Amino acid sequence: MYAAITSATLLGTTGVAITVEAHVGNGLPGFTVVGLPDEGCRESRDRVRAAMLSSGLEWPNRRITINLAGAGERRGGAALDLAIAVGVLVAHEILTPESVQGLSFIAELGLDGSLRPTAGMAPLVAAVHHSTPVVAHGAVRESLLARPEKLRAVNSLAQLVQVLQGDAPWPDVDMSDVAIDNDIVPDLADVRGQASARLALEVAAAGMHHLLMVGPPGAGKSMLARRMPGLLPRLTDEEAFACAMVRSAAGVPLHAGVVSSPPFRSPHHTMSMAAMVGGGSGHIRPGELTLATNGVLFLDEMGEFAPTVLDALRQPLEEGVVHIARAHGSVVMPAKSLLVAATNPCPCGGGGPGGCACQLPVKQKYFRRFSGPLLDRFDLRITLTRPTTAELTSSEPGECSAVVAERVRTVRELSLARQGCVNSAIPADVLDEVAPLSEEAMSTLRSRLDNGRLSGRGYHRIRRVARTLADMHGHAHVIDARWVEVALSLRATFNAADGTFR
Amino acid sequence: MNGARYPQWAYAAALASLPLLTHARLRRLIAHDKPSVVWNMLQEKDRPLPGFKEDTWRVWCNVPQSMLIETAELCIDSNIIVTTNRDRLYPVVLHADPQAPAVIFSQGNLEVLHQRRVGVVGTRTATQAGRHFARTLGESLANAEVCVVSGLARGIDFESHVGVFRATAEQAAPPAAIVASGLNKVYPPEHHELWRRIASEGVLISEAPPNAPAETHRFPLRNRILASLSEVLVVVESRARGGSMITVREAMKRDITVMAVPGAPNVSSCEGTNLLLRDGCAPVLDVDDVFVALGLDTRRENRAIETRQMPTGEERAVLEVLAGVPRSIDEVALLAGCNVVNMAVLLGRLEAKEWVSHVDGWWEALLH
Repeated sequence: MYAAITSATLLGTTGVAITVEAHVGNGLPGFTVVGLPDEGCRESRDRVRAAMLSSGLEWPNRRITINLAGAGERRGGAALDLAIAVGVLVAHEILTPESVQGLSFIAELGLDGSLRPTAGMAPLVAAVHHSTPVVAHGAVRESLLARPEKLRAVNSLAQLVQVLQGDAPWPDVDMSDVAIDNDIVPDLADVRGQASARLALEVAAAGMHHLLMVGPPGAGKSMLARRMPGLLPRLTDEEAFACAMVRSAAGVPLHAGVVSSPPFRSPHHTMSMAAMVGGGSGHIRPGELTLATNGVLFLDEMGEFAPTVLDALRQPLEEGVVHIARAHGSVVMPAKSLLVAATNPCPCGGGGPGGCACQLPVKQKYFRRFSGPLLDRFDLRITLTRPTTAELTSSEPGECSAVVAERVRTVRELSLARQGCVNSAIPADVLDEVAPLSEEAMSTLRSRLDNGRLSGRGYHRIRRVARTLADMHGHAHVIDARWVEVALSLRATFNAADGTFR
Repeated sequence: MNGARYPQWAYAAALASLPLLTHARLRRLIAHDKPSVVWNMLQEKDRPLPGFKEDTWRVWCNVPQSMLIETAELCIDSNIIVTTNRDRLYPVVLHADPQAPAVIFSQGNLEVLHQRRVGVVGTRTATQAGRHFARTLGESLANAEVCVVSGLARGIDFESHVGVFRATAEQAAPPAAIVASGLNKVYPPEHHELWRRIASEGVLISEAPPNAPAETHRFPLRNRILASLSEVLVVVESRARGGSMITVREAMKRDITVMAVPGAPNVSSCEGTNLLLRDGCAPVLDVDDVFVALGLDTRRENRAIETRQMPTGEERAVLEVLAGVPRSIDEVALLAGCNVVNMAVLLGRLEAKEWVSHVDGWWEALLH
C-alpha cells in the first residue's frame, strides 16, 4: 500500500536527501507525482512504467501517487527514477519493506529497464552517506568521489528486484579509493622572452591577484594564461575532491578522474550570465565561476563578453561565493578562483608602436566595455607586446613551472602564516600592520595619488601587490619604494581621453 | 539696383555659404563684382554669369534672402571676421595662390600672419616621442618669434600648438590655426580650450562658413590653405598615406620647402616622414634646422628650456637604449642587460621625471 524510499536531489553543487513516498490504492488507474516535481521528474512517470513492463514486472492497474516529501522546494532530476520504481514495487507488495531497509536509490531508468548514471552522482551519493546507496554500474567511479562507506551497484531493474527478493547476491563493487592523478599542464619553460609577463604571472599566482593582459594578437596572452595552473600550488586532497564534486554536479565528464592540478576554465565569450555565475530555470546548475574554484578562470577577448556577464563577476570575486536566488529558493556555491583576462588594446589589434590606426571614438567605445568597477578588481594590469626576434631566439630558456611554483608556494605559506589569507585578500584595516611602507615608498605613492594617476582604491591594491613582490624576493617586513614602483608598473590604466592603455 | 543694405562682408559670407559651391566657383563669383552685386543678381534670378552651368545657377537663384541675414548673425554672434580677397586684411601670401579661398572666415587677429610662418603637421596617431618633439618644436619656434601654423587636429597638430603656449619669451609669436569646419563648430570637441585660446591670442582661419560641420571632404581643402600659408612645412610624423601627406603634396605644388623629422624604421606612424626623407626632403633633427631653412639666426638662445630633473647615470643608459626607437620593457631589459624588476623601477623613475612615456606597452624616450 505505502512505501518510503530514500533518494537525493541536487541543489546547486550539493546534494539533498529526500524521501520518495509511494502509495498504491483503489481508485481510477492513474499515476501522479506530487511535491513540486520538476519537468524531468514528471517525465520519469513514463520511464518508470516502461522500465517495469520491460523488466517483466507487473504494473499495478490502480491509483499510484508519488510524493517527493519535504515539500517547499522544487526538486527532481532523473536520479529519482529508480527510487520511484522501487517505491511502486514496495507499495504494490512485489518487494517487502524490509528488503529496502537502509538502502537509498540514485539512478535514471532506461525504457528497457537498465540503470544509468546521472549528472551529479558524487554530491547525490554524499547526501545519503548514512545509508547504502544503490547506483548504476556505470556511475560507480563517480559515486566513489563522495567516499561512501558502502556502495551497491546493479545493471538493471530486473537484477535489482532479483537481489532484493533474495534470489541473487549483490554484484561486487570495486571500492578501492579513487587515486588522485597529476594532470599534465603546459610548462612555463615553453615561453620565450616575455620577462615582464612572467613576473606578473608569478605575482598573480603568489598573491592570488587577478590579472588582466592587454596586448595585440600574437603577443602570447592565451599561451601565458594556460600556464597559470602550473604555477598555482597543487590542490590538497580535500580541494581536489571538492573540485571533482563540483564538476560532477555540473555534469562535466570526469575523464581524468580526480586531479590535483587546479582547474582551468576558459569559457567562450558568447556565454550567458547563467553559464557564468550559475543558474538556470528550475534546477540551479553551477556556472564557470564555480567550476573554476581553486583554479583559474580565463576570459579570453574580455571585451567581447556581454557587459552584464562581466559585471556579474564583480560581487562573487570579492566574496568568494556566489548566491543564486530564485523564486523557489536560493543556493550558495563556491566562487573562489583566480581571474585572468586578456584583451586586445583596440579593435584593430594594434601591433607595433604607433601601429594602431583606430579612430579615437572607436577606441573610446571599445574601452567603455570595461566598466571601471570591474577593471578595479584586477590588481595586475599589464601590457604585452609581440616578442622581438631577439627575445624569441635568445638561447636562454625561461624558468620552468616547477621552479616558479616552488617560490609561489613559499610566498603562500609565508602569507598564510602572517595574516591567515593570501595577500590579495588582506583587509584594508590591517594593511598598515602586515604591509607597512617605508618613508620613501610612502612618498612615491603619495606623489602618484597627488597627480591623479592612482585612485584611493588603487592605493590599497598597490600595497597588496607590493607586499607580494617583497615576499617573493625575500624582503623584510617593511616594504621599500622599489616594490611599490614595480607594483605601479604592473598596474596600467585605460585612458579614455586619448584612447590609450598605459 | 546696386544699393547694398548690408555691409559687403555679409554678402560675401552669404555667397560663401551657397550650396554646390567650390573654391573655383566662389573665386569667379567674387571676381565678377562686389559681393552685394552678385548676391542681388541671384536674388533677381538674372541670367547666369558666363562659365556657370544653368542648373547650378538655378539652385543658387532659389536661395532665400533670409540666408544672408542668418549667416551674418552667426558671424556676429561668434565674433567671426569675414574677409574677401578684395579686402586689405586678406593675407598677402594667398593672393599669389591659384587655389586661394576667395572668402575666409577668421577669429582673432589676421595680422598674426605677417610674422615668419612655419607649418607643423603630422599624424593624429603619433608616438609619444613624436608628440614630445612637436611640443618642443612649437615652443622653440614661438620663442624665436616664428608663427606656428597648424590644423588643430588630434596628435601632432594639437601638440605643436600646446608647445606654442608654453613659450616663455616676451615676444613669443602667437599661433595660427587653419581648421576645416565652421568656426563655431569645434572639431575635435576635446580641443575646445586650445581652440578658444588660439582665437583669442592668435588667429583661427577657416574657409567654411559658420555652422559647416567637419565633413571629410573639407580636410584636404583645409590642407591646401595650411600649406599655402606656411613658408616652411615641417612634417613631424606621418603615415605613408593620410592628411599630412596631402599637405605635403600641396606644399610641393607651391614650391614650399618641406622638411621631415626622421623616425624609427619599424614604426608605422613614421613611414611617411621616412619616405619623404628618402625622396630628398631636408631632415629636421632639432629646431635649428628649421631656423636655417628660414634664414634665421641660429645663435639666439631661443630653444625650449629644459626643466626636467636630469637622469642619473643608470637612467641615462636606459635612455640611450630607448633613443629613437620605441621598445617593450622586455626588450629594454634585454638590451640594457638588467632584469625586468630593476628595469621597471628605472623606467618608473624616468617616467616620474618625464623622460620617458609609454602607451600600449611601448616605451619611448622623450629627448631634446
